[in-house]
Amino acid sequence: MKKLLALILSLAMIFAFTACAPKEAPAPSEPGPAEEPAKTEPIRIGFFAPVTSPAASADGLSAENSAKLAVKLVNEAGGINGRMVELVNYDDGLDTTQAVSIAEKLTTKDNVVAVVSGSYSGPTRVAAPIIQNAGMVMVSAYAVHPDVVNAGDFIFSQSFPGKVQGKAGAEFAVKTLGAKKIAIIAVDLDFGTELANTFTAHAEANGAKVVSVDKVAISDNEFTAIITKLKEKVQPDLIYIANYYAHAAEVVKQCKLQGLNVPILGTEGADSWQFLLTAGEHANGVYLTTNMNRDDVSTTTQEYITRYREEYNMEPDMVGASAYDAFQVLFEAIRQVGTDDPAAMRDAIAGLKDFSTVTGKLIKYTENGEAVKAVQIQQVVDGKFTSKGEITDLDIITPSAK
Amino acid sequence: MFLQQLLNGIMIGSVYALTAMGATLIYGILRILDIANAGAYVAGAYFGWFIYFKTGNLILAFLISMAATGLIGVLLHRFIYAPILSKPRILPIVPLVASVGLFTLSGDLARLIAGPGTKAYNVDFGTEVINIGKLTVVPAWILIIVLTALLFTILWLILNRTKLGLAWRATAEDSDIAQAMGVNTNSAMALSYILGYGFAAAAGIMVGILYNSITPALGEVPSYKMLSIIVLGGLGSPVGTVIAGLFIGLAETMFSAYNLAFIPKDSIAFIVLILVLLIKPSGLISKSNNI
Repeated sequence: MKKLLALILSLAMIFAFTACAPKEAPAPSEPGPAEEPAKTEPIRIGFFAPVTSPAASADGLSAENSAKLAVKLVNEAGGINGRMVELVNYDDGLDTTQAVSIAEKLTTKDNVVAVVSGSYSGPTRVAAPIIQNAGMVMVSAYAVHPDVVNAGDFIFSQSFPGKVQGKAGAEFAVKTLGAKKIAIIAVDLDFGTELANTFTAHAEANGAKVVSVDKVAISDNEFTAIITKLKEKVQPDLIYIANYYAHAAEVVKQCKLQGLNVPILGTEGADSWQFLLTAGEHANGVYLTTNMNRDDVSTTTQEYITRYREEYNMEPDMVGASAYDAFQVLFEAIRQVGTDDPAAMRDAIAGLKDFSTVTGKLIKYTENGEAVKAVQIQQVVDGKFTSKGEITDLDIITPSAK
Repeated sequence: MFLQQLLNGIMIGSVYALTAMGATLIYGILRILDIANAGAYVAGAYFGWFIYFKTGNLILAFLISMAATGLIGVLLHRFIYAPILSKPRILPIVPLVASVGLFTLSGDLARLIAGPGTKAYNVDFGTEVINIGKLTVVPAWILIIVLTALLFTILWLILNRTKLGLAWRATAEDSDIAQAMGVNTNSAMALSYILGYGFAAAAGIMVGILYNSITPALGEVPSYKMLSIIVLGGLGSPVGTVIAGLFIGLAETMFSAYNLAFIPKDSIAFIVLILVLLIKPSGLISKSNNI
């Protein structure tokens, strides 16, 4: 019996290990300590996204697709400084334990020069300290939690942090839409909490009042009771939803069905074709703060959108665009300083100014590794995300120090 | 507002009752907690979506999906649960672990076959809402409440007015004695799986229509919430399950409507469960006055 148990346990261990083996590139043969890689060898970049977590796999797929597209396009253009780029691709399953072992493997075994996180705040913030301690650069695509960049000077975020987006949302809600009595619905995760708190602080500093806050578990799709309560008791003049697309779709649908006709402001969490699909015509009129502007005429943005549709036959979204941009940030640093010195790569990223990406112009990096870029205001018009301007005020979009 | 919330609660409660009914029927006969029932809910939602997408016929989607999922249930019982349970002195945890494995498999299969993205039913009911005084009624709610009532009536008739139902009740009471008396316990078990998985499939489609979205993660909440509902309902009692489902649906709705405390809504089912276990461990309706 004991033998059988031992056998089962060891089998389970083997499965656990293979589960986090790289899906794309074969593990390299152990490099000898003195062996310098020849300059024609490919540049290996590590990547992880929640591809198999049932709850996050749509975002995971979007991020993974965009990572592959970024590598494909840069290789089509001849690589970087004559070297091809190779993706070392992992699936974290939205599991922090798995993210830790992925970070360990990336920093010790995989021979990568830098890492891109295409995952949520949870896995990214546990991977960040390990990658920082290894003295390797990581660019996070869209994780909003402050702990990600707080891990150290080698960790950067491609997008603006949650505190900027919350503040920008409040700015738009109060100053442009004239909201005075705001109801907040937020997903009960780092994402929702961070946005709801920063939104509340800035809205109340500008004279509006947050009259109710409802936190909803990510697995919960039931908003009927909350919307009935808002309509009959709270009576807000604006609803701020810091939730992902499934929640956002249900909130806008219930508001329309129950006849609660007030402006709704969402966040990048709803910036997905899945929001438009499930909310249908109820989505029309909803505002979003996000980092992606599909109407941007820049060739970077349009090339990404066109190629993404061609490659995958689906609509690109904020998550994918952010992952794509995280690679662009890294590619630019490698173009400038090569891959030999991680500290030089770090400085090259920190020194980026007015760098053009799919999600708009990256104005600069703060000392803390957070991107300063305009927050896009989008509105759903006739079932399409349409630009309604952007928030460029540096006081709002520059993240405060940690 | 109270009336509106009452209606909201009954609608959610109906879905809960229907979701948990499958697990109740299976527990009633086999004495195993079948977590895989939440997998049947996922499978049913996807089958239904596929048929509705192809034919545009909602009735056909319900019927085929329920039949297909019920058939899967029978096959799972025949090839997985029955061989496990036939081993002498088997620990109750073994079939439980098997069912957890099957449930995990269902989510991953859905992701691999249908893709990770959201699928939408987009059912057109002709009208958006029906307003009765101050009460707002969404057509999907009527569909859910009426269909749940219909399915439970059919279930009641099968269990109480047919020979097969008598065999089911006899097997649930004591399967050894029932077998000794010549009751075909195998067909009673098959009935549990056909009805149990079929009901879960119907619940999956209803939730898909209600929220207009199905994803591979659809079964995660039902997989644990249905446990508290079936225990609350007195483990294996169909009537108890209906009452418990409605009770939890109403409790959750009232809870989010009146901000009773700052705890996650999903925990209510378990708080109620703990209270019931402390006060009346046999559940709301105990086994002795079953059905």
